Amino acid sequence: MLCEKCKKRTATVFYNENLNGKLRSFSLCGECAAKLQKRGDIQDITSMMDSFADPFSDLQEALFHGFFGIRAPKSQSAGKKCPACGTSYQEIAERARVGCPVCYKTFQDELSGLIQSVHGVGTHTGKIPSRHQAKQERKRLLQEKKKALVQAVDGENYERAAILRDEIRQLENEQEKEAN
Amino acid sequence: MSWYHLQGKCADTVISTRVRLARNIVGYPFVSKLDSAGAGEIIEKVGSTLEPSGFRKINFSDISPIMATSFVERHYVSPEFSLQESPHALLLQEQNGVAVMVCEEDHLRVQCILAGFAPEEAYQNASEIEKRLDEEFDFAYEEALGYLTQCPTNLGTGLRVSVMMFLPALSRAGSMNSLAAQLSKIGLAVRGLFGENSASAGCMYQISNQVTLGVSESETLCMMNEAISQISEKEKLARAAIVGEAQERLQDHILRSEGILRYALFLTSSELIRLLSDVRLGIALGYVKDISYEQLNTLLVEAMPATLTLSSESTPKTESARDKLRAVKVQSVLHPKG
Ligand SMILES: [Zn+2]
Ligand SMILES: [Zn+2]
Repeated sequence: MLCEKCKKRTATVFYNENLNGKLRSFSLCGECAAKLQKRGDIQDITSMMDSFADPFSDLQEALFHGFFGIRAPKSQSAGKKCPACGTSYQEIAERARVGCPVCYKTFQDELSGLIQSVHGVGTHTGKIPSRHQAKQERKRLLQEKKKALVQAVDGENYERAAILRDEIRQLENEQEKEAN
Repeated sequence: MSWYHLQGKCADTVISTRVRLARNIVGYPFVSKLDSAGAGEIIEKVGSTLEPSGFRKINFSDISPIMATSFVERHYVSPEFSLQESPHALLLQEQNGVAVMVCEEDHLRVQCILAGFAPEEAYQNASEIEKRLDEEFDFAYEEALGYLTQCPTNLGTGLRVSVMMFLPALSRAGSMNSLAAQLSKIGLAVRGLFGENSASAGCMYQISNQVTLGVSESETLCMMNEAISQISEKEKLARAAIVGEAQERLQDHILRSEGILRYALFLTSSELIRLLSDVRLGIALGYVKDISYEQLNTLLVEAMPATLTLSSESTPKTESARDKLRAVKVQSVLHPKG
């Protein structure tokens, strides 16, 4: 991301300042940070330890407020609201916060540029919640068995097809139960 | 025993390591859209899940501002968390350095902070608690985006590793700018004061990973490992260069700082931070003999304003009374009785 002062160089200095209970945060390039410190525009934080916070909490607003020139096309998101929490993209951009997990689906197109600007084009790799492991496994099994069913029917192996049909029904039942 | 009573690995260049995992619970909106009832429910449930395994629950609406600030000084919560008005709580297991912030930026922020350089161990500790919570809660997750978080900067693993480094020689040599620029190319960010004022922040810099989506937990840990060892090596080379140039001057400067630290009757917190950093370098270079890294870490936390005030029997009324109390604290840590 770019320095918020000169908007030219990459920001490499991030910190919070806690002045009488009011937080200010900065994302600056080294040169601008040094200049501001010299002029006393940034207070010496007596305790650098104060800023042992999340280094990117200050990045968020900058991100949403078009630091990267990425703003949702107005026509596309006008009037659209998240069915789960009622948040509009406008509100997401203003508050620099996504409303709920479902918003990610609702505003998939609006958010994708922003996500890529932070993380690049990769998709998730790593840990999966235990409930999803079961879900993903069930999904895989279901696909496998449906394929086997088609083969069994094609091969006129009706006994096997009946067994597969029962198994598929059971997996689908489980899936439904979980969805409710 | 808390993390700041220990020194940990690589104490000559690393002060502490913090790992955090961001998680949200299905069925609730994210924190900024969450009402008090919802927050209360989450706090209650997380409490009942973790309290049986030795966690202490601290409801931040029940504690004084000074107590809240002390948790910031001990690095268990963020400054934002301590100032937040909506319901929020901390679940703390001090002996393992695990601190779970409930209803901060995300529903759950499982963190572990340890002294020195310990990313794997900190990750293990945090991960173990995260697993217990995973059994209890349905975490918001999507195959492509990973764990869903209130801010897209934390999507994917939700894992942030932050290492607090002590880099006096690199900052004196004016190398921090170029180092930060190099690190940003590989997705790491440096936070701290650069340039002439770096000494006022004790030459401490926080290095953390930026990318959390498309990079696995082990890759992140591996990258941090690599980067931190390289920065440590650079710092040691820079120290050797300073020693080569002006050993006696440097030694003089450090021993003067040690003298002030030991014998001053009044110390402001910014002066203390500067002295602690001089003495830390002094220990690393073998100039200071009878002070340990543990003692420095203890002072970095326990002599900060809120924690200091809490530890004294009567609240110091003036700035000067607090500075006096701070000097007394320093002496009690450096020369424990008995
Ligand atoms: Zn700049
Ligand atoms: Zn929503």
